[in-house]
Amino acid sequence: MSGLVDKSTMQTSFRFKLKKFLNVTNCSTKITNGYGQKHPKTSDWRKTWWESFEETPLYAAIWTYLGYGMLVIVGYIRDFLRDIGLETQKSCTEPKIPGFVPLYQSWENFYTRNLYRRVRDCWNRPVCSVAGAYVDVTERLTHDCGWNFELTDNFQHTMNFGSYNYLGFADNVGPCKDSVDKTCKRYGLSSCGSRQELGQLDIHHELEDLIAQFLGVEAAITVPMGFATNSMNMPCIAKKGSLILSDELNHASLVLGSRLTGSTIRTYKHCDMEDLERKLRTAIIEGQPRTHKAWKKIIIVIEGVYSMEGSIVCLPEVVRLKKKYKAYIYLDEAHSIGAIGPNGRGVVDYFNMSPSDIDIRMGTFTKSFGSAGGYIAGSKRLVNHLKCNSHSSIYSPVMPPPVAQQIITSMKIIMGLNGTDEGRRRILQLKDNIRYFRRRLHEMGFIIYGNKDSPVVPILIYYPSKTVAFSRECLKRGLATVVVGFPATSIIESRARICLSSAHTREMVDRALNIIDEVGNLLRIKYSNLAVPRWCEDDKNANDIL
Amino acid sequence: MQVGTASGCENPTSYYFNQRGIWLTYVLVIFLAHLFILSMPFFTTAIAWTLTNVLHDIAMFVILHVTRGTPYMLDDAGTARKETQWEQLDQGKQFTPTKKFLTIVPIVLFFLASFYTKYDKVHFVINASFCALSVIAKIPWFHGKRFFEINKW
Repeated sequence: MSGLVDKSTMQTSFRFKLKKFLNVTNCSTKITNGYGQKHPKTSDWRKTWWESFEETPLYAAIWTYLGYGMLVIVGYIRDFLRDIGLETQKSCTEPKIPGFVPLYQSWENFYTRNLYRRVRDCWNRPVCSVAGAYVDVTERLTHDCGWNFELTDNFQHTMNFGSYNYLGFADNVGPCKDSVDKTCKRYGLSSCGSRQELGQLDIHHELEDLIAQFLGVEAAITVPMGFATNSMNMPCIAKKGSLILSDELNHASLVLGSRLTGSTIRTYKHCDMEDLERKLRTAIIEGQPRTHKAWKKIIIVIEGVYSMEGSIVCLPEVVRLKKKYKAYIYLDEAHSIGAIGPNGRGVVDYFNMSPSDIDIRMGTFTKSFGSAGGYIAGSKRLVNHLKCNSHSSIYSPVMPPPVAQQIITSMKIIMGLNGTDEGRRRILQLKDNIRYFRRRLHEMGFIIYGNKDSPVVPILIYYPSKTVAFSRECLKRGLATVVVGFPATSIIESRARICLSSAHTREMVDRALNIIDEVGNLLRIKYSNLAVPRWCEDDKNANDIL
Repeated sequence: MQVGTASGCENPTSYYFNQRGIWLTYVLVIFLAHLFILSMPFFTTAIAWTLTNVLHDIAMFVILHVTRGTPYMLDDAGTARKETQWEQLDQGKQFTPTKKFLTIVPIVLFFLASFYTKYDKVHFVINASFCALSVIAKIPWFHGKRFFEINKW
């Protein structure tokens, strides 16, 4: 096999991608009204499935490269001026001791020093209130272009469209706060022991039973840190001799967890079911790398909602592949639990599938429950195994009782067990916000990625300067947003990532849309050439594709 | 790589030359630089083309084969620090479309320069030697080789 990079790594056009996706089972290649006609069992989910990833316009890509090139040249000139002494050296430099090998290579900090530092005020902004629907952003001034910041006494009351707060529980008033107060007084702040050393309290049992009931599985365990839920528990479920097939855009915790297992890792293209099937077949046919023995187990690691792209994994296809090739699924629902699905139960609920199809369901409480930590849920056997063997059961303390109480109260509200329909209201408000916001942005002409139901909305702004300008201009007008640029995304896909919440009223969403419209016109970032989709809040004209 | 609290792919150098529009940008920059040189009144066409060819080859040699490491910090425990940019492209795989493209561009420039200098002997020697420098450096055998202890550590 030659070393040629195969065609699937070249970016394909949106139409081609959509065609390929809708006809996974090798039917006619004509785009029909949402599903392949020769497919024997047409599942209902394809009728309302819609996502778009419009390609970067060529002129925007070229100007972006030229922009970065210009920044690099200016960076070199400034570095040269600093070297010869015409400009003061503001960063900490290593003393040059003769005879000693230098410890650091100063070119490695080039990007941080010359590009990131200049626009540092768009990230890590200190806030002085709870990050709910509104947040108070403290004012920071810099007199030397980002080297040093000075805090003033002022703050700005802005609308918060940058926090993960999908169901609006990130607040310091309300029933959650009252119950957490009581729990603090009763249990204290921590039980100071790990699960295997008598740290587990009755509140943790209650929480785990509640999680199991919420998800419709047999049992669950909780871990006090969301990242560690993946990195500490994956080594228990796979070892050397297994195969992990993970999506190329999986989160760092999943990547670290997969590496710590010691098994072979193969990545497949993002949400590309044909690539996944191809890799599964090749792996099963060829076996382990050198010995060609059969794999001990094959685990497909997917996320419910990918927060950088806003895409939702097409779970029915993955489950079909899993059943066909006898693999296991590890589903990370960090962003989808609580935010997706008619009852807020995640992707499994969204596609109306049976919970027993997914072997290991993982999620975090940080996003929709206003708390911290994560859970892993599945069969009783799995959970017992994790309780005995997981690093987090042995070495880390259990979840603090007040944190657990916050989850219990918020989960009961979502499930409706507290007697009100507040949970129902929040879920519907979130869904309404998502559809409305996305539809209005499509109508305005922005390029946004993702599924029509995903609460994370990436607005594509390709140029580095415009990305930063978007963040600053929105803040000036009272909208706090998060922008992501080169290191976390590829060079030509810088974006602003908006996270919607049920705490945002329709009036707030309208105001935010007006601000984004104004800034979009000012910066000329309305690149879209796609026809405006015709779905709307109540799915009436769902899925009329192009 | 890590900047602030955002972290991304392994080594952006290995894939950014495959992305949409970068080949076109590269050719565009060469074309604009050539137009700039051509617009100088004291250069004849022959000298302008030879200058473009030579300057392009020197610039690409320095950028791709002399500069080592990355302008950003990576999590790879220093493996990319000793490799030149060319060796980092596509994570060291040979005969990828990017590498083929980057090998062809100096050759095409050499052909164009030979044509516009009307195959003059002196110009030919200069153009050919710089083109050879550029192309030989990209041959797979030279992957990882260091000569005369230059760039070794």
